[in-house]
Amino acid sequence: MEVLCREFWHANQEGSGPLLAATISPIAPPSYLNRLDAIHRDTDAASINRDISYSLTKTANAAIQYPNPEITTWTEIYSAYWYAIGAILAAEHTTTRPDWTKVYEAWKDVANTVIKGYSSGVLENWTLPVLYTAGKHLRTFAIKADENVQASENGTNFNVGGLQEDIAGDFGKNEKLEDAARVINRMFTLCISDRAPLEESRKWGLYYTTNLLFKTYFKLNSIGLSKNILRALSASRTDMPALESFPQPHIVTFKYYVGVIRFLEEDYAQAEENLTSAWHMCHRSATRNIELILSYLIPTLLLTRQQLPSPRLLSPYPRLGSLFAPLTLAIRKGSLSAFDTAIAEGEHEFVKRRIYLTLERGRDICLRNLLRKVYLAGDLDEEGKRNTRIYIKDFAAAIRLGESGGSREGMDVEMEGSAGENNDEVECLVANMIYKVTPFSTTFAPHVLTFVRHQNLMKGYIARERGIVVLSKNGAFPGTGI
Amino acid sequence: MIPRSISDPIDPTSLPTPSHGAFTSVSARRAFVRPIPALSSTPSPPPSAAEKAKRDWPESVRHYVQRAFATENTVASIPRQEMEIKLKKIISNSAENNTLGTIDWAKLPLPQQMILEERARPALISANPPWGTGLEPLSLQETNVKSTDTLSKKRKSSELDLSQNGQEKVPPWRIANPHNVFEDRITYPDKRQRGDVAGKGSSKSHHNLANRKKRFEDGQPGYLSQQPFSPSKASTPPDVDQGPVIGRSQDLEKRYFRLTSAPNPDTVRPLPVLEKTLDFLKRKWKKENNYSYICDQFKSLRQDLTVQHIKTEFTVSVYEIHARIALEKGDLGEYNQCQTQLRALYSQHLGGHPEEFKAYRILYFIHTSNRTDMNDVLADLTPTEKRDPAVKHALDARSTLALGNYHRFFQLYLDTPNMGAYLMDMFVARERLNALSNICISYKPDVKLRFFTEELGFESDDESARFICDHGGQSFLEERDGEVRLLTGKALRFFETARNTAFKKVDIKGQI
Repeated sequence: MEVLCREFWHANQEGSGPLLAATISPIAPPSYLNRLDAIHRDTDAASINRDISYSLTKTANAAIQYPNPEITTWTEIYSAYWYAIGAILAAEHTTTRPDWTKVYEAWKDVANTVIKGYSSGVLENWTLPVLYTAGKHLRTFAIKADENVQASENGTNFNVGGLQEDIAGDFGKNEKLEDAARVINRMFTLCISDRAPLEESRKWGLYYTTNLLFKTYFKLNSIGLSKNILRALSASRTDMPALESFPQPHIVTFKYYVGVIRFLEEDYAQAEENLTSAWHMCHRSATRNIELILSYLIPTLLLTRQQLPSPRLLSPYPRLGSLFAPLTLAIRKGSLSAFDTAIAEGEHEFVKRRIYLTLERGRDICLRNLLRKVYLAGDLDEEGKRNTRIYIKDFAAAIRLGESGGSREGMDVEMEGSAGENNDEVECLVANMIYKVTPFSTTFAPHVLTFVRHQNLMKGYIARERGIVVLSKNGAFPGTGI
Repeated sequence: MIPRSISDPIDPTSLPTPSHGAFTSVSARRAFVRPIPALSSTPSPPPSAAEKAKRDWPESVRHYVQRAFATENTVASIPRQEMEIKLKKIISNSAENNTLGTIDWAKLPLPQQMILEERARPALISANPPWGTGLEPLSLQETNVKSTDTLSKKRKSSELDLSQNGQEKVPPWRIANPHNVFEDRITYPDKRQRGDVAGKGSSKSHHNLANRKKRFEDGQPGYLSQQPFSPSKASTPPDVDQGPVIGRSQDLEKRYFRLTSAPNPDTVRPLPVLEKTLDFLKRKWKKENNYSYICDQFKSLRQDLTVQHIKTEFTVSVYEIHARIALEKGDLGEYNQCQTQLRALYSQHLGGHPEEFKAYRILYFIHTSNRTDMNDVLADLTPTEKRDPAVKHALDARSTLALGNYHRFFQLYLDTPNMGAYLMDMFVARERLNALSNICISYKPDVKLRFFTEELGFESDDESARFICDHGGQSFLEERDGEVRLLTGKALRFFETARNTAFKKVDIKGQI
């Protein structure tokens, strides 16, 4: 117990939040692997409270006069912590199935005593890392507890209630994590509702708790809830410190999540902005985080700027490379069959990351590139101007060319064997090129100004009776230099 | 004279609020019941109450009431109050139905006999409401010793051996009760306490008691009561959330009511009956096509399945059929409820047609333009499922729309498996507007109406022309050389507004 209390006073003397947070870490530091064991063995349930408050008082530097509420609060926290350690050790050392639910419940007590410490005003804002540690591990224990339950029950929970109208519901699948989300939400409220002057306000904990909530909501597959948090944040933006003044890790994570939320809402311009700044601010050595950011930024840029990742960009991240390289190559070449193969092969991964439905739209770019090639293959007239009238059947031939070898299912059903006769589907695809409007972001100087214009992929019109496409003489393929 | 309490329900003016059903009037009356001595044993008339509710009761009814309260007819297992309630119900019912004169009161079974009959049918172990005695210490005692063997044997026999006179088996504390209430009032010291119960507290405690009783009955299916009161049974008190109900109703049809308390086995139909019900409903649906009726019936059918925890292939088919009917009638709320349940049921591998309904799910999310859910559906599909014709059709419909390939989409629309077309109908108009906008901008100077008809999957030129006119585009139709043409070059962005309106978010109740 003395060890713990010495750590406590040391952190207090230093005024170091991280050191203080380390005193309630459920993971032993590498330098002291027996820490949890030692603390747990030091006392028992009967005397835990007395032991802690005694040790806290005893080890206190006489020079520092601490008011009593602090001792009380920390006695409560460390007592809850001691019980949690007991549950953790039991789970880790058991030979049978570890009971993470018990760990979760015990840790929830730790989190609640910490929250109480803040709401009663005893804990100051420099101790916020304590809140972070409590919240962070609450989430991980909740996930473990739910996995526990799922493994033991296996399958959908059927309600047994007499009053339920219908047979089944899938509630209870993430029971503990949902519970954890509520506790973390209280932490968030604790921070956002603090009216103290900024320098001593808990508002500094806002982005950390927000990120923790986002993480939890994403895991729970209820991303919609994140929007409430964003709304609350923007409502109190005026009396919050500027985003830039928060610790960089908080900002990067926050921007990443906002970017992904916007991405899923199909607000690609906002997604681009947030993900780009997350990417720029992210620590270069945080490979995993950069991968995560890029896995959304790449599809976003594909749509907003028709930009494809260069091999150089992908090279440090083999995982991203294998994910995006085939698709990128297909688009660049304008090969529809290669595109279809790539997206079919990557479907599982893409769907898992929720980028499939966005990447799918890259097919338009792929097709545009193909049609552009057809145009460029055309003859030049005497004045050096390119022929802007292109037969539909030429486009059709180009599309079919790519497909002949491929095993694509889908759009070529009627084209096979009826070449030249029915090009209605090709017309339809060309019509889409002319009709579809995509955002074109143009950045004039890096990270200074971004203009989003909406443009068609192709300019011109179809003259159906004559079976030709009349392309615009100026910039038939906007944004491609032609 | 007749206790006022009996006359109350048939004299609406004497009640603060008019009573509509027997049940409400019963509970409203409770507060007055206790202080008024029962007829047979009270020499003096109840004071003002009787005057107020003066009514000329037939002699036969009076005799019936007297017999009901007579000491020798008291049944130990039936608390007096319950008997009184029953009695009032009988009389008020017959008064309401104007059968007071027609009923042969002399032969009509007494209320307590009716209650016994009612109980005998389910053959339940009934929790004898301790409050019926009005003796609180004793009632406490009863609760405590409830699980002991001797007591349970007694109770069981008093409940089950209906032919016998239960008197000698009556637990000692009940002996007091058979005596008339008036005597109680005089001889018992706890008169004041009694008054309390009769006052405000009584209706509440009675209510609780009724609830408890009901729960107890529901939790104990009939045949179980034949066995001795096993300790395990005693240790798990039956509750709303406990164990499936086993239905006893034999009716094929049943109106749907949302449950507000534990289900009553008497109104729940067991599986064999439900199977017949489904056949019956299927035939009826074919014949009459009355959706509000069929929906109601299916809901009660589903409810009966739920309360009995029946999760079999039959359950799946009930939900499937209901979902299909709802789909056919465009009732998306109900359809969604079924779809949610089916999803859970399919995950239990109970049979049915999971692919068909997965396909519907995909089509439905096209309709709601819900990308998040669509992504989840895609994530859940197995390669085998993706090869299923219906699922594949839905997936193709999705991807053609995502890429704006209206040409293929409308071909798929015209060739939809199962009942998917009902779902596709919901978004086909908006996709047509999209295609119309597209064609107007991409084609110059015009296209034949025929082309438009074919590309957008209309059945005839007339139909497609009507579609264009419905959206205000008649001026862009022109007849030339015996052919109707759509002047796309002129229309340009004309249909954009209609298109954009059509694509506004879809919001449907009960959405998963």
